[in-house]
Amino acid sequence: MSTKASRTAARLMISPAVILLLGWMIVPLSMTLYFSFLRYNLLMPGMESWAGFENYHYFFTDPAFMAALRNTLVLVGGVLTITVIGGILIALLLDQPFWGQGIVRLLVLAPFFVMPTVSALVWKNMFMNPVNGVFAWLARSVGLQPYDFLTHAPLASIIGIVAWQWLPFAALILLTALQSLNSEQMEAAEMDGAGPLARFWFITLPHLARAITVVILIQTIFLLSIFAEILVTTNGGPGTASTNLTFLVYMQSLLQFDVGLGSAGGVVAIILANIVAIFLMRMIGKNLDA
Amino acid sequence: MPRAVTTRRKAVTTLIAWTIGLLIFFPILWTVLTSFKSEADAIAIPPKFLNFDWTLANYVTVQERSNYFRHFWNSVVISFGSTLIGLLIAIPAAWSMAFVPGRRTRDILMWMLSTKMLPAVGVLVPIYLLARNTGLLDTRILLVGVLTLINLPIIVWMLYTYFREIPAEILEAARMDGATLRSEILYVLTPMAIPGIASTLLLNVILAWNEAFWTLNLTAARSAPLTAFIASYSSPEGLFYAKLSAASTMAIAPILILGWFSQKQLVRGLTFGAVK
Repeated sequence: MSTKASRTAARLMISPAVILLLGWMIVPLSMTLYFSFLRYNLLMPGMESWAGFENYHYFFTDPAFMAALRNTLVLVGGVLTITVIGGILIALLLDQPFWGQGIVRLLVLAPFFVMPTVSALVWKNMFMNPVNGVFAWLARSVGLQPYDFLTHAPLASIIGIVAWQWLPFAALILLTALQSLNSEQMEAAEMDGAGPLARFWFITLPHLARAITVVILIQTIFLLSIFAEILVTTNGGPGTASTNLTFLVYMQSLLQFDVGLGSAGGVVAIILANIVAIFLMRMIGKNLDA
Repeated sequence: MPRAVTTRRKAVTTLIAWTIGLLIFFPILWTVLTSFKSEADAIAIPPKFLNFDWTLANYVTVQERSNYFRHFWNSVVISFGSTLIGLLIAIPAAWSMAFVPGRRTRDILMWMLSTKMLPAVGVLVPIYLLARNTGLLDTRILLVGVLTLINLPIIVWMLYTYFREIPAEILEAARMDGATLRSEILYVLTPMAIPGIASTLLLNVILAWNEAFWTLNLTAARSAPLTAFIASYSSPEGLFYAKLSAASTMAIAPILILGWFSQKQLVRGLTFGAVK
């Protein structure tokens, strides 16, 4: 029903957003790609020269890269496992009738709004510190040795912190999905003698499948870029024990000033994220047609 | 019809749910409590829960020593600035895509979303160099610009899902009654769109407030928002639990309250309408 004039107007109204995003995407991306083929160090200005695939070769053969890749996958996988399973359990719990539902829901949701640097520092100092932390006190009060979480299990500790931040997100989305479950179907299954486990497995879980997928994909996008939590807790260490891909690229480009190498790492990070993005886009695209 | 539940079962559920809720909330509660302790009480073993001398000294010290409100104001400027500019650009775009959809609308929406999936670290180097060479490094303008761009796809999408729910028939009815385009926008669409715009604003202020990749990498002392300011407490000489807690409490309290109000919109906004 749209007229030609309204279509022109529409195009004019969309263009600022499109042009800005296009610029935001093309300019830095092509620069990253270009830099990744250069020998380019900020400490030696004016010495840039063509390097071919040298940066990529160096990046891939750097032992830190394999460590960072492994850490990235462990970090994403660990947080996803905790938040999805925990999220389902919490969503199921909050879906039951009980007193003070609204307040408990706010309490559970709260960590999501805490900025990453605050949550990381609070956990690091006030909970995981082996001398003054709450965990150290708990350990000592039951007669155990306090455990230095960030020194001996840096990656696991960061997984714990990040999972605390994202658990509310998973729980909230799964709860929202759960609330759209048809209760008549549940009652019918109950009358037919299906136990709680069978009902969960054959009705609830399939109903949640879509929301679980969305949670996994969206979290993966954010979790691939975890940065602040690592910066303020372990600085990637000890060694490379808690360095993920994002942090490795940051170190190479802004701490060692190796623009060429950092850019090559950036390109690898983009490719990795794209693999996830393709799946996510399909899911959301399907929803757009519905 | 909700199923009947025995009081006993409800009581048990209440107990479990509150325990879990309080456990998850405990780190925040602990931070708030610690912010009112003296440094000695803050590291006391066994920890003091409520039985300490309450003091506001940490809040005063944090402000005096580090000019806290300057960073607070930076956060306000950066998060609200980037959100408002983003809305200004996104409202016309989302409006036209929702009401005058063309053949390519779907592709444009999907493409916009794809820019959000670009990992920040992939463009860190060029953005850093561009900022340095233009003298914009460590300025609020730069942060407002970058955060506008990274959140623009979410703003467009959120607005689009809200606008799409406004029935098109209402526009036709207004047109039949002889409404001009101007009055159509002013009296018909705007009142219906305002709740959606408000929720979009809220969610994006929260996202921008807590953004901690670009704010950490592109700012130093001058334009650092709270995310970057708090990070300075990670150095060993900054190991003052009570002061860290006071700074943290002030940094998270306003956004926590906004967040609690926006919990319904959160799901829709962060899943790009895939879960409602």
